[in-house]
Amino acid sequence: MRTRSGTATWVIVPAFNEATTIGRVVAELVRHGYAVVVIDDGSADETGARAAAAGATVVTHAVNLGQGAALQTGICYALRQGADYIVTFDADGQHRVGDIAALLAALPSQHADFALGSRFLGGTVGMPASRRWLLRLATWFTRLTTGLAISDTHNGLRAMTRRGASQVALRQNRMAHASEFLHAVARSGLRYTEVPVTIEYSAHSLAKGHRFGDSLRILLDLSAQRLLR
Amino acid sequence: MMAQIGFSLLLVGIMIYAWNEAARAPAVGLVAILTAASGLYFVWFPAEATWLAEQVGIGRGADLILYVWVVISLLVMLNLHLKLRTQMELLTILTREHAIANARPAASAE
Repeated sequence: MRTRSGTATWVIVPAFNEATTIGRVVAELVRHGYAVVVIDDGSADETGARAAAAGATVVTHAVNLGQGAALQTGICYALRQGADYIVTFDADGQHRVGDIAALLAALPSQHADFALGSRFLGGTVGMPASRRWLLRLATWFTRLTTGLAISDTHNGLRAMTRRGASQVALRQNRMAHASEFLHAVARSGLRYTEVPVTIEYSAHSLAKGHRFGDSLRILLDLSAQRLLR
Repeated sequence: MMAQIGFSLLLVGIMIYAWNEAARAPAVGLVAILTAASGLYFVWFPAEATWLAEQVGIGRGADLILYVWVVISLLVMLNLHLKLRTQMELLTILTREHAIANARPAASAE
C-alpha cells in the first residue's frame, strides 16, 4: 500500500494468543491508512482470523517461536513487499497509533534510519514502579553495552527506513531480541533518533510483560549468542 | 597402564570433538581443547598433578584430575546447548520461509 507521496509503510504486529486485542489494534491501524502485517506466532486462539477480519495481512508461524522471531519474519516480509518504511507495533494495545506519525516524521527530518520510541521522553499510563525501575536498569545496561545514548529500552514501538531494516537480522527468538535490535542499530553505524511516545499499561499487557527473572534469561541468551560464530 | 591408555584415548577423542566444534563455537572449542590437553598431561605425569594441586590448594593430584573432568563435562554440556541453539535457528528460518510463502494478503490489499 503506497501513500500519495509514493512511499510504502508497513506496520508489523507480532502476536501470540492476542485474540482479545488484535482486532481492535489492527482496525485502528488500518483506519489510519497503514498496511498492516500481523505475524501470528503459532497462536492457539483466533488471533489470525481476527487480524485478517480487521484488514491485516496475516503471516502464520506453524509453531510458536517467540516475539523476536515474529518481528524478523515481519521485517523480511515487509522488505520483500517493497516497504520504504517499517514500523513495529505491539499487539496488546499498549501503543498509541497516533505516535506512529511522529516516528515516521522523525526519520527524514533527523536524517535517521531508526526512530526509537521512548516512554521516558513521552509518558506512561499505569506503569508499576517495579517496572519503571527494571526498565531504568535495563536501559543503563544497554547504554553501557551498545554505546547508544538512549533513554528507553525494550520498547516495541519503533520505525525504520528500508536501509535500516536491512541491517537488522534478529537471531534472538525470544525476549532478548529488543537488546539485540539495539546492538544492530549500534553496529550498523546508521543514525538513530528517539521520539517521545506514550505507553498505556493494562492488566492484559502487564500480564505479558517482562519480569525480573526474564532479565536474567535475557542476559544468558545474549551471552550464549556471543559464544557462537 | 591400561587405565592411563583408556583415559588418554578418551581425552584425545574429546580434543578431536572440540577441534571440530571450534568452527561453530571458537571460545568453547578452545577451552575444551586446552582442558583436555591438561587432563592428558596429568594422566601421564601424575606427580606433576600432585605438585600443581598442592600449589593451588586442592591437596591431591587425583582431586585435580577429577576437577578437570568436571570442567570438561560442563563444557560438553555448554556445547550441546549451543548446538541446540543452532538447530533452533535453522528451524526458525524454515518456519519463517514457510510462513511468508503462505501469507494471507489483506482483503483490501492492492
